Amino acid sequence: MRFLRLTGLAMVFGFGLSAAAAYAQAPSPTAGGAPAASASPAEDQAGLELKEHHRHHHHGGVTKFIAMSLDTLGTDDAKRPQIEKLQSDLHAEMAGAREAEKSVLLTLADGIAAGTVDAAKVDAAIAKLTAAADGVHGASLDTLNKLHAILSPPERAALADKVEAHWEVWHQSNNEADPAGREHGGRLARLTEEVGLTPDQVTKMSAALHAAPAGGSAKFDPQKGEAHVKAFATAFVGDTFDAKAVTSNANGQLASRGATRMAHFYETVTPLLTPEQRTKLAANLREHANYQPSPSAK
Amino acid sequence: MNRRLVTTLAGAVVASCLASTPARAGVEIQIFPPSWFIATARPVYYEGHASYWYGNRWHYRDGGRWRSYNDEPSNLHEYRGRREPERHYYEREHERRHWEHDRDR
Repeated sequence: MRFLRLTGLAMVFGFGLSAAAAYAQAPSPTAGGAPAASASPAEDQAGLELKEHHRHHHHGGVTKFIAMSLDTLGTDDAKRPQIEKLQSDLHAEMAGAREAEKSVLLTLADGIAAGTVDAAKVDAAIAKLTAAADGVHGASLDTLNKLHAILSPPERAALADKVEAHWEVWHQSNNEADPAGREHGGRLARLTEEVGLTPDQVTKMSAALHAAPAGGSAKFDPQKGEAHVKAFATAFVGDTFDAKAVTSNANGQLASRGATRMAHFYETVTPLLTPEQRTKLAANLREHANYQPSPSAK
Repeated sequence: MNRRLVTTLAGAVVASCLASTPARAGVEIQIFPPSWFIATARPVYYEGHASYWYGNRWHYRDGGRWRSYNDEPSNLHEYRGRREPERHYYEREHERRHWEHDRDR
């Protein structure tokens, strides 16, 4: 009898503990962790356009994320002209890398239009882009210090959040996403919309992308990008900031990774496109090549 | 004495289970703004932090965590009445600039 009573008590206790544990793990109604790109709800139009942008423009690495974050920082009207000037300065400091990226995109566009992409020529253009992007961090130190000085603590925190958000989207689009994936918002889905791929073409392209893994992928270390972003974000939210103290520089690596993956995609799918589709795709890439950022701080 | 202790303990455990289960059932699972939203949305600064209107609620970062206002602050409510929360469309913006560039040539 005593044994039965103790066993029953143990069962009730166990049930209570498991219920308490489950409750403790349930999400709080008012607080949550950092946003995770991979677990987030499906992107809306602005989110899809951002992904498409990050799949084609890599020239400034983390510095580009900083400049892009100013597009939506939401500073007050009085500060806006100064912020626009600093954003313009950042774009000027990335101009060399942007030109190098233009060369990559135009080389790809020419190859696509001709039906065969010259991989050696593209690789040489990517090497120039990588070198140019690597120098962007050093060129932008003064501008970043001025930016810190002009922003209020909440604006600095918001900028740091946005830089981290851009990094997450970039990383998801250029590293985590399956290059052969057919998911909504992915490269193949976007190409289908752009040039009207048939289901058979999509199947063949997906198989070809699976069969030919992207060159250079083994060399990419996302922790370097993460370290650069975290070092900047942590330092920038402080009361004092010296951009020189941010010694991590993953800009070249990000540019190289993004451009290599983009090139691999277009090199692989080009032989499977019709001449009309190639003409359309080449025109779209030339538009990307002519991308001219202008101050749009809001 | 032992029987009374056992009965009291069992009662306490059962009561805690009954109390915790409905509470858990009442938990509202919230979705906080994802990265692609933070990167494309213009925040509103309120109470010393950037607030984002997402999923019909205002959210803000508090240190390493996201929090939400369960009751919409009147200032933020008024802001929404005056102005639609803004988003940045990168491709559309690019096309617009391209069109302006062609037009001005």
